[in-house]
Amino acid sequence: MSFNLDSKIPEGPIQDKWENHKFKCKLVNPANKRKYSVIVVGTGLAGGSAAATLAELGYNVKSFCIQDSPRRAHSIAAQGGVNAAKNYPNDGDSVWRLFYDTVKGGDYRAREANVYRLAQVSNSIIDQCVAQGVPFARDYGGYLANRSFGGAQVSRTFYAKGQTGQQLLLGAYQSMMKEVGKGKIDLYTRREILDIVVIDGKARGVIVRDLITGDIERHVADAVILGSGGYGNVYFLSTNAMGSNGGAAWKAYKKGAGFANPCYTQIHPTCIPVHGDSQSKLTLMSESLRNDGRVWVPKKEGDDRHPNDIPEEERDYYLERIYPSFGNLVPRDVASRNAKNQVDAGKGVGETKVAVFLDFKQAIERDGKDAIAAKYGNLFEMYQRITDESPYEQPMRIYPAVHYTMGGLWVDYNLQSTIPGLHVLGEANFSDHGANRLGASALMQGLADGYFVIPYTLGNYFGTNDLEKVDTTHPEFDKSEKEAKERLEKFLNIKGSRTADDFHKSLGKIMWEHVGMARNEAGLKTAISQIQKLRSEFWTDLKIPGETDEVNIELEKAGRVADFLELGELMARDALMRPESCGGHFRVESQTDENEALRRDDQFAHSAVWEFKGVDQEPIRHKEELKFEYVPLTQRSYK
Amino acid sequence: MSGKEKIITVHLKLWRQKNRSTKGFFEEHTLEGVSTGSSFLEMLDQLNEKLIREDKAPFAFDHDCREGICGMCSLMINGQAHGPERATTTCQLHMRSFSDQDTIVIEPWRSSAFPVLKDCMVDRTSFDKVIAAGGFTSVNVGNAQDANALPISKENADLAMDAAACIGCGACVASCPNASAMLFTSAKISQLALLPQGKVEAHKRASKMVEAMDELGFGNCSNHAECEASCPKDINLSNIARTNREFFKAKIFSEKE
Amino acid sequence: MMVSHNYLTSSIGKKQIMAITGLGLVGFTVSHLIGNFLLFLGPDAFNTYAHTLTSNPLIYLAEVGLGSMFLLHLVLAAITQLQNRAARPIGYLAKKSTGRGETFASKTMAYTGLILLAFVIIHLINFKFGSVYESTIEGETVRDLYKTVIEYFSNPLYVVWYCFAMVALGIHTSHGFQSTLQTWGLRHPKYTPMIEIIGMLYAIFVTVGFSACAIYCYLQN
Repeated sequence: MSFNLDSKIPEGPIQDKWENHKFKCKLVNPANKRKYSVIVVGTGLAGGSAAATLAELGYNVKSFCIQDSPRRAHSIAAQGGVNAAKNYPNDGDSVWRLFYDTVKGGDYRAREANVYRLAQVSNSIIDQCVAQGVPFARDYGGYLANRSFGGAQVSRTFYAKGQTGQQLLLGAYQSMMKEVGKGKIDLYTRREILDIVVIDGKARGVIVRDLITGDIERHVADAVILGSGGYGNVYFLSTNAMGSNGGAAWKAYKKGAGFANPCYTQIHPTCIPVHGDSQSKLTLMSESLRNDGRVWVPKKEGDDRHPNDIPEEERDYYLERIYPSFGNLVPRDVASRNAKNQVDAGKGVGETKVAVFLDFKQAIERDGKDAIAAKYGNLFEMYQRITDESPYEQPMRIYPAVHYTMGGLWVDYNLQSTIPGLHVLGEANFSDHGANRLGASALMQGLADGYFVIPYTLGNYFGTNDLEKVDTTHPEFDKSEKEAKERLEKFLNIKGSRTADDFHKSLGKIMWEHVGMARNEAGLKTAISQIQKLRSEFWTDLKIPGETDEVNIELEKAGRVADFLELGELMARDALMRPESCGGHFRVESQTDENEALRRDDQFAHSAVWEFKGVDQEPIRHKEELKFEYVPLTQRSYK
Repeated sequence: MSGKEKIITVHLKLWRQKNRSTKGFFEEHTLEGVSTGSSFLEMLDQLNEKLIREDKAPFAFDHDCREGICGMCSLMINGQAHGPERATTTCQLHMRSFSDQDTIVIEPWRSSAFPVLKDCMVDRTSFDKVIAAGGFTSVNVGNAQDANALPISKENADLAMDAAACIGCGACVASCPNASAMLFTSAKISQLALLPQGKVEAHKRASKMVEAMDELGFGNCSNHAECEASCPKDINLSNIARTNREFFKAKIFSEKE
Repeated sequence: MMVSHNYLTSSIGKKQIMAITGLGLVGFTVSHLIGNFLLFLGPDAFNTYAHTLTSNPLIYLAEVGLGSMFLLHLVLAAITQLQNRAARPIGYLAKKSTGRGETFASKTMAYTGLILLAFVIIHLINFKFGSVYESTIEGETVRDLYKTVIEYFSNPLYVVWYCFAMVALGIHTSHGFQSTLQTWGLRHPKYTPMIEIIGMLYAIFVTVGFSACAIYCYLQN
């Protein structure tokens, strides 16, 4: 089977593509919409907004999430804000500029047409959210406030305190619950996807496990939408929620959906460093901290003095030194990589020596403690709660942590994967952020996909495809369910000695070491062989207590770790086959004379799309060539 | 981390319950080698690793984001919802709040509206039902006007944000001597009543949501204020007052039944 | 304008009716206390007041009103108590107050309420339906309630019980007063602290006032 990687980018100038496409999309008349059913996996910004909107249109929606309520999806943890090209501050923003910044920020590895559409619908997102009652920050005149975020030259970020993700998610959740109340959405909480059911080449259902009773359920529909988030937890330690997993996307990949650019991961620079072996997750602090904080390390290696005792002249404000024009506000990937360089050079701080300082002393002296507290009070409080140190008194210690995965299932302009009927939204797809995501763009993309794109393109799918009537007695359901059950039994029957978390931690170490902030050929090859070895150990030495027909958290973990053990290998393979540096993917072999990332557009201006061939078989790497007609290819420079 | 960390031993008294329909009991464990720099949930992870190694059933508890925002974690710790610290979720609680040889009693949220599913995992879908009854603005995608068309006073926007900060964890119900869900319900009624977009349906919303809350088996609010005191997000009692007003207006002034 | 049929059965409706009846009882208590202060002026002043009050035909209407307020307050309290107990069938092993929310008064509302119920019953038996003495004021024969009062309060145990019940009343109303305003939606960051102080002062006033009357009567013997 060869992949059909037709991106289906509409004709015409980029400004008109989406309008043209919407007009050409087949419509489903209102009376017929109620005859179609849609499965939506995930209830974050992407899945939640899609479920709500499709139900509003009249489709019958079945919504699935692993948490006890749709409101818990991890979109809730996004702090900073959501971008939109409203240009309310009159500072020169426009759809075009947002488009341009996003393509450039993604280091020219995103599809132009998708990004332009994202910028176009961004304004409607803000309108919709305000109408839902999202309490965005406002100024004294009662109008919406904006801030500059992640080094953007315009103030285009809308925010709700430091809880923007929470407020946007609750907006989508409430819209969903409105439809649940009307009976247009059937809600299935505490369910985990065990398989995607493909019938006659089209996605037609899912096999899920009820995490409370352990029952295996079959659900059939006319289309399946994945809004299941990213796979950052492959690193074990990340800023993702404990339950975030790549399972649904991975099952889709194994069923024939192409997986694009798995190596593009975003490592966020301002996280609280790891404290010890029992650590279960990492906590991110908004990168707005870098607006006032100064990053430094001691000039001397292994300097053990208390930071307050290190005099000014013995400190190296390395970001300000290396990047005089952007200073502490360089993009995430640059800030993260430089922190790693300092630590690798032996200048790390704190007990573990794997951290750098972020200092507010000068800002407090300049603006006063109250002004700093007003801006960052909640973040400082959070930091103190975790570390027992006050950022007002001494510098914070920060270190990068895995935060977001730009890679994901390949989708065309309609957000449809290589499996017809399987649409993928939000972080689970690969489409809009290229090799690096800009701050405040993830929320924008999730909601754009769910509120404004899929309602049109799904109608087009229904309007252009004759879908045979199938039900859950179809042999494909039998087959999927049987396989899923066998896998669960297999986990229980290994009866080895190591827990799922133990394997997960080992995998995390390999990934962080070799497929982390800086990658090289030898390391990636080591990673591949180490992961393969770990995977075979996993299948012979795993220890899972309990049964399948009850709450069994270890069994849930086992399934997720088993997926990660395969996904991690694909990430390493993808990184290996991309010997250029771009965005979040830094190949040591590809640097400029000044040790900056060197992109190689002549050979790698494409998305790599992987085709599954079997767990222990080599997958096939396909390419979708990327054309940059509107944003000329240039090397990023933040000097 | 900063050299202040200690290694302590704690004695745990955990509520164990196999499933919804069986009876529960308390089980005691002693856990050694707990770092005071660990979070409370990391201490429980450590316990579970130990239990699995000893071929015992791991302890089930809800958690997800582990940064105090998803509202999934719960636990009554020594008789207090989310433990002894103010404005803190269980996942943000650290072991430095405890001393060596402390006994820690861990119980599930107790409410007939939150049945226990296993150990300390409870079913909080009744909260979703309260929201489904009216905790939204009836706006479909496509209806919205420009976001700046209606200015909203900063004071009201800020109050709405304070109410909207609710994470739906259920600590208010758990800590309320009456197991009432008024703080949760009122936070949403209040948030939307404060905004022009939500005002249109404010009365109906108050009426519907309170009715749903009553039907789900929560207790009656009698203004103890334990909810506010144990709320990890500092949701204010004035939201309950506002809800009382909205509800009265809905019931008294509406010309429809 | 009409009240929806389910207002009274809703949690907020019940509470608002409890609040308003409670407030009515608070008003009654104040007027009762002011009447009691006439004890300090001697038998004639007190008996004249009692006679004027009881000889007014409107008194029956007032009594019915007061009685129904009391009953409504009581019945709603009982219903909510039962519902609240049902809302938490299994209690906590180690429940501990945060120290920032519930107070002794709020936690003991049901108990202080029961004490007050017992008190009211005894009080009515003793003074309304109890011993009737007669005296003459300006040629008119009136009930010498003063004598009855002094008689009862000659017993130190009775005084102790009375004062105990009044402390319960103070505690009950100290939570009840501010709770009433909260229940009617009157909460404001500027005024609520003041309201709480007023509630507390009121509670002290009734407790001290009634108890002072009782002790004064005891000392008359």
